[in-house]
Amino acid sequence: MKITALLVLKCDSRSDGSDPVILANATDVSHFGYFQRVTVKQFIVFVGRTVAKRTPPDQRHSVQHEEYKVHSYNRNGLCVVGFMDDHYPVRSAFSVLNKVMDEYQKCFGDSWRTIQADSTQPWPYLNDALTKFQDPGEADKLLKIQRELDETKIILHKTIDSVLERGEKLDSLVEKSSDLSAASQMFYKQAKKTNQCCTIL
Amino acid sequence: MNIKSAQSSSYRDRTHEFSSITERLRKSLSSSNAVAGVNSIGGVSGGGLTKAEGSRSTIAFQSEFNKRASKIGYGIHHTSQKLAKLAKLAKRTSVFDDPTKEIQELTAVIKQDITALNSAVVDLQLICNSQNESDSVSSDTSTHSTTVVDNLKNRLMSTTKEFKDVLTMRTENLKVHENRRQLFSATTSKETANPFVRQRPLANKSTASSSNSPPPWANDSSSSSPLFQRKHADTESQPLIQQQNQQQQMVPLQDSYMQSRAEALHNVESTIHELGSIFTQLATMVSQQGELAIRIDENMEDTLANVEGAQGQLMRYLNSISSNRWLMIKIFFVLIAFLMIFLFFVA
Repeated sequence: MKITALLVLKCDSRSDGSDPVILANATDVSHFGYFQRVTVKQFIVFVGRTVAKRTPPDQRHSVQHEEYKVHSYNRNGLCVVGFMDDHYPVRSAFSVLNKVMDEYQKCFGDSWRTIQADSTQPWPYLNDALTKFQDPGEADKLLKIQRELDETKIILHKTIDSVLERGEKLDSLVEKSSDLSAASQMFYKQAKKTNQCCTIL
Repeated sequence: MNIKSAQSSSYRDRTHEFSSITERLRKSLSSSNAVAGVNSIGGVSGGGLTKAEGSRSTIAFQSEFNKRASKIGYGIHHTSQKLAKLAKLAKRTSVFDDPTKEIQELTAVIKQDITALNSAVVDLQLICNSQNESDSVSSDTSTHSTTVVDNLKNRLMSTTKEFKDVLTMRTENLKVHENRRQLFSATTSKETANPFVRQRPLANKSTASSSNSPPPWANDSSSSSPLFQRKHADTESQPLIQQQNQQQQMVPLQDSYMQSRAEALHNVESTIHELGSIFTQLATMVSQQGELAIRIDENMEDTLANVEGAQGQLMRYLNSISSNRWLMIKIFFVLIAFLMIFLFFVA
């Protein structure tokens, strides 16, 4: 479950439009060979631009491209694109995009509307987000809750098993204690008998 | 009573009796039109044919009744056989060669049969009632006919019930197949990342999803994992070959996104419910075991009391053993008595 790249772009809603302008870019190409990395980065940029151009405003899209799913969310001309692999749950992907988008708007306000050329400055938040959200649970609270609930359920099952064992042990203890009390009763009777019987000799 | 004293004297030949009785009855029947005697004799002789004119109508009734009843029973038997065939068909349907047409035909045929049988049973019951109302039958015949009708009705009811069960099973099967088909036709908006779905050109997906899903489903069980790993190894080289393989499919996702969120919420809620029930079960079990612990405690107290009592007894015994002066005197006396006797006998 991996995020390979996160991109923030400015999309013009004009249909004849120029390609969207990249506002922020964070990629994790460490699993490619060293010489392919540059190519992969260019490829990511290209595909990201294409997808963002084709995403109508206020809509979410997911595109399957080879082994990646490219998710894009366009809100008011600000478009966030994420490259995830197939295992990454779609819902979490979109919550990641939501978070990035909100953060970007908080950081930069509306200043992005004036940018015309690709900005090359890295945005540290995006890089952090890329590493943090490798685990879909981080982004998607529902997923996290579900996971924790499942763990709790497992723990409860184990607890119930151990309680059942405890029950069995208590059963055996009950039996032993009742045997013990019967034996002690016999002991008492014997003692009384030896006492009562031969007072003469 | 002619007892044949010849070779086999193990049977009695009562043919004369029988013929005399029939003569007698024939005479009485033509006057009183009583069927009962004829019927009982018919039963006794096991097939003796008596043709009394007055009784023909009621006999005709009876045989008509019997004929119809046997036809209905036969029909029910046939229908249940067809139903068994239908059940087998419904059970074995796989996703692909679905004998839907046959199943539907068979269903229609069985339905027709059942309705026909139903109406036939209703008719039979009417006949039986009308027959019972005419006075000229014995109570045995009427009970017999009512029993027969009830039996047939019960059998028909059980057949209908089985039919309904088979139909429900078929709809469930259909549902399962739908689910499975959805699972394996790989549209991109599916969350459940199914590693068995091969990564093929998705441009054909919408047209050929049905033809795509059988091969992956059938073939992938053997070859899925090496394929998947190979795909992973290929990812590195593929971004370079993008132009040839570029597949893109825009799927409107808004609805499914919302739906998936709603679904996730539902799951969370149901999980919490389950957790609650597990907790209650746990509490019940622990309280039950608490009672066990109390019992153990009581047993131990009993044991303690017994052992203490026994210890007291033994102490008393010990005291009485160790400090009995009277015992010494007794031993002395016994010794002196022996000495006396010894002295007496010797001296």
